Amino acid sequence: MKKILLFWVLLLLSPQWTLAQEDAFRYLDSIERKYAGLRDYIAEVTVHFDIETFKAPDMQAKLYYKVPDKMKVESKRVLFFPREGGFFNPSLFKKEDFEIKFLERFTYDGAKAVKLKLTPKKIKRTIQEFVLTIDTDRNVIREMDVTQFDGRAMKVSIEYGKFDSFELPARILLKLDIPSFESEGVKEFDQLIQKPKRVTGTIEITYSNYKVNSGLSDNIFKETESSMSGGSPEGKSR
Amino acid sequence: MKLFWFEIYKTFSRWRTYISFTVIVLIVILTEVVMKLSAGEIIYRMMRPFQKDFLISGNILNAWFVTAFIMNSLHIHIPFLLTLVAGDMVSGEANSGTIRFVLIRPPSRSRIITTKYLTALFYTAGLVTFFGLVCVSLGLPLFGSGDLIVHHYGKFDIAFIPESEIPLRILLAFLAAIWSMTVVASIAFLFSTLAENSIGPIIGTMAVVIVFLIFGNLPLDFFRTLRPYLFTTYMVNLWQQFLNIPIPWQEIVRSAMILGLHNAGLFLIAFFIFRRKDIKS
Repeated sequence: MKKILLFWVLLLLSPQWTLAQEDAFRYLDSIERKYAGLRDYIAEVTVHFDIETFKAPDMQAKLYYKVPDKMKVESKRVLFFPREGGFFNPSLFKKEDFEIKFLERFTYDGAKAVKLKLTPKKIKRTIQEFVLTIDTDRNVIREMDVTQFDGRAMKVSIEYGKFDSFELPARILLKLDIPSFESEGVKEFDQLIQKPKRVTGTIEITYSNYKVNSGLSDNIFKETESSMSGGSPEGKSR
Repeated sequence: MKLFWFEIYKTFSRWRTYISFTVIVLIVILTEVVMKLSAGEIIYRMMRPFQKDFLISGNILNAWFVTAFIMNSLHIHIPFLLTLVAGDMVSGEANSGTIRFVLIRPPSRSRIITTKYLTALFYTAGLVTFFGLVCVSLGLPLFGSGDLIVHHYGKFDIAFIPESEIPLRILLAFLAAIWSMTVVASIAFLFSTLAENSIGPIIGTMAVVIVFLIFGNLPLDFFRTLRPYLFTTYMVNLWQQFLNIPIPWQEIVRSAMILGLHNAGLFLIAFFIFRRKDIKS
């Protein structure tokens, strides 16, 4: 009797669940369609840091992006650019790459919005999951909560502007909450019993002077030299 | 003034004086060449806490970074090089039997000891300045210029100094380093007035510096309470403060004053000991 009851409950709920999943896909599809014409862009970025243990002046750079995932930042000076969430990539959330869960429907900044949870099907880098807040009126991602396996967490808020008929980020605000890295060197005795400290703060990236669909060549993204002088293992593009 | 230049001439006529300069050239050349060859490893280790979160580009391993990196070892090897001369200022005369000859000349004992002390300070300033010049002049062609990233090893902690500010900050840091090292010279000089040969003052000074450095770094509450009373605490920190954001002027003035008081105290003790010293050699 119990089994029959459970069967009926599941049967009643499953269309709801399927509907929610379809909705979730639809929101990502809408974003993909909206930016289907975007092939590349160049923008000038200013990175402002507000992290207690990261005392740096504003950094200026030129950012190059080309579909599907080519990116390069170029600066005459030393530059620290956020790896996750620092730039706009409309191809980042392809529905076939994620398990998508619809979380809620609500109002964000006076517009209709939904919240989706995206879990990568294949582990890329250390991303555990994304929670996206999508403005369904404009079909843009307004917020993104990124959780990583190593305890790193980040909240990304994006403000858009109209550039060459595309809505592209004018300002990206990243709120970081990451575990403080400690070397394996000698630790003070009380450090061993203390809970590891976390680094928190914000990074604000302002975008300006967009050049959209200028036909960027792939060669721009080719590694001509290592990003950090001295032959570091890190690259400029990804 | 004539006496001062005479002492300078005497000091720089000895081959021992040039050991320190030669050693500095060797240390800097070796360090910078090795750093150039293992640049990737250095940057990887240095930037490890940041690489998960940031794409990093630009000339991080530049001459200023290398200079600051080598300066970090300043409190270990420079004191030893200083004692070679400062520890020999008075005891060297006693050892070679010329102290009696020096003292029968018209200048008073007070003038002689003051002149010798000033010569020790001049040598200290010259050695640290030379050290700075070698670091920068070799570093610039090897590594180029750029913004300085001051990083506390193994921690998510960084101070980013724009290239335009660096020459002045490095200059101030080296002036602070000279001031710090004068305390080591003063200790060696004091020991030199007490001894009849140079070995004692050299070993004695190094013993004091090493013991103080160890005590100042032991992670125990007892030694932590001792830290404010050890001159090495201020000696190591003083120059590093010029590479902080913002520059903690109050702390710098305080450290400089404490080191200055050490210098004055040590010199006065040496002064009175020398004035009352019974010359038996």
